[in-house]
Amino acid sequence: MEIFYIFVGLTLFGLIAYGLQIWAVRSHLKETEIEKNIEKKVIPDRVSPSHHLPISILKPLKGLDDNLFDNLASFCELDYPEYEIIFSLQNHNDPAYKVARKIKDKYPEKNISIIVEKCDLGLNPKVNNLIPAYKASKYDYVLISDSNVMVDRDYLKEIVKHMEDPEVGLVSNIIKGSGGKTIGSIFENLHMNTFIMGSVCFLDKFLKMPCVIGKSMLMRKTDLEAIGGLIAVKDVLAEDYIIGKEMHKRGKKVILSRHIIKNVNEYWGLKKFLNRHTRWGKLRWRIGGIRYVSELISNPVFMSWLPVFIWEASKLTISFALLISLIKVMGDLYLGKITSSDSNPLVYFLAPVKDLIIGFIWFVPLFSNTVVWRGNRFMIGRDSILTHCPETGMWAWRYRIIDAIKTKVA
Amino acid sequence: MLLCDFHIHTKYSDGSVELRKTIDIFGQAGFDVIAITDHVVNGDNAIGKLARRFRLSVTEKNFDEYISNIKYEAERAWNKYEMLVIAGVEISKNYISTEKSAHILIIDIKDFIPACMSYEKIFLEAKRQDALVVACHPHNMSDSSRETLFLWKNRDKYAKYIDAWEIANRDDVFNVISLKKYPYIANSDFHKPRHLYSWKTLLNCEKDIAAIKKCIRHNKGVAITLFRS
Repeated sequence: MEIFYIFVGLTLFGLIAYGLQIWAVRSHLKETEIEKNIEKKVIPDRVSPSHHLPISILKPLKGLDDNLFDNLASFCELDYPEYEIIFSLQNHNDPAYKVARKIKDKYPEKNISIIVEKCDLGLNPKVNNLIPAYKASKYDYVLISDSNVMVDRDYLKEIVKHMEDPEVGLVSNIIKGSGGKTIGSIFENLHMNTFIMGSVCFLDKFLKMPCVIGKSMLMRKTDLEAIGGLIAVKDVLAEDYIIGKEMHKRGKKVILSRHIIKNVNEYWGLKKFLNRHTRWGKLRWRIGGIRYVSELISNPVFMSWLPVFIWEASKLTISFALLISLIKVMGDLYLGKITSSDSNPLVYFLAPVKDLIIGFIWFVPLFSNTVVWRGNRFMIGRDSILTHCPETGMWAWRYRIIDAIKTKVA
Repeated sequence: MLLCDFHIHTKYSDGSVELRKTIDIFGQAGFDVIAITDHVVNGDNAIGKLARRFRLSVTEKNFDEYISNIKYEAERAWNKYEMLVIAGVEISKNYISTEKSAHILIIDIKDFIPACMSYEKIFLEAKRQDALVVACHPHNMSDSSRETLFLWKNRDKYAKYIDAWEIANRDDVFNVISLKKYPYIANSDFHKPRHLYSWKTLLNCEKDIAAIKKCIRHNKGVAITLFRS
């Protein structure tokens, strides 16, 4: 019985943490509304010069994301006077190249360039893709933006406001998953809109910790170069986190904008969801160390089901787990409501299943420090520094056996 | 080169994605030309009757609605993605014996063609409509019950009516088409979103229906590619 009570305690702790996450998201969004109202009422005609800062948008492209055409098109329809868009790819055979060409043809009046250049300076493929685009960019402000995000027309105006303050080094955004049509994408969007969004807002509000999501990062070139530029993060997996951390170290403010941007995930398979969160788990374990344990404890659904799995499946344990799962569903539904999520309310009833999967994935990083990312296998070290996996020797056999099994299964 | 897929199913037959969404999947991925080719199943045996019963087939009744919806979506696809969408069907003659079964794509179809007609009549009707006739997944030997052996086994008789043969269909490659030097194209036989990543056709011609049909019939400027993300 003691075991059960221990897990009840941990579950309640997790629920409190989850409640704080909801509070953090809610107050973050509420502040947005207040800010907007003040701007409308008090300074309706004010147009600050910084609202017109010319910006270079760097878009590293690799493969086809769901909704790629519309994602890229949304950046061509921004209500902003001066900006350039640079699509960068590693080779012409990438299927995203054709989409980029179509976008360029569709918006001839926009300042769009496509750079195709093989760059293998580092091990992080996204940074490799960004380096040629950064070199070609002509403005003093750069916005690094992933290919899988879709934005509203006022996105640039909203985020650039923060740059009025010279102390601000980086502006990132909250991401909202949208459009799930398969089980993998439904899980991804649920996780994005609950755990990821909640954690980012929680860290920002209560711990004042910079937690940058690389899907949208606005910076001055001078600030980025002061921390070593993109070259400094060419061999790290979590380049976004490291850039934010270094900015913070140098006394620059890292701002989480109130503007929510969309990440459209429609047709993910379950495998893609599992792969991404295993990779992200490994990354957080390597960066956070012992703090990684807090992620497990703040998963109340997993904690409440553990006694059923490891102690006994009695009426009491199952009822408790079901009750906690229901509370979590309600919490997720509330978060979906306040973030105007487009998910069908019924899909929230899958949230406990997703939380259980995430709970089991949590353990993987404790036993494995390798990731396969865009076809390459790397070992992750401290602060997510990547190194190539050895191709010979004792350890290499482990990967060969795994690859052989995977090939056989396929 | 135009990136093309001429073998796509929607919820009008046994595809899992609705017509509009199917078109968006291909448009978002940068395709230049696609053909929507839902099944028209023969109703002269139990397999066909079952398919019709479960609405896995375009029928004479809903053919006009099918074509007009494709035309409507084609206009949207052109305006949004500059992607050409062509209406077609896959005449599916299914029998218990794989030796008798065959599937034929009729691309740029105008009037309904019943699948229970004889092969010869189907081909002649397609020619009358100036539609493109493509032999689908032309299996040449039987490995499973789902195969379509008829056209390959009777190629000497019917090859003259066929404008192109599928040299590759989704993950399968039919090397006999290459050996016989028949005109070829490659398609996904799209039923689910994951089928987007499969064999495709590249055409070196103008983006209009007449030029595309001519290019395939003459089989010059045709290439195939394995489309992967």
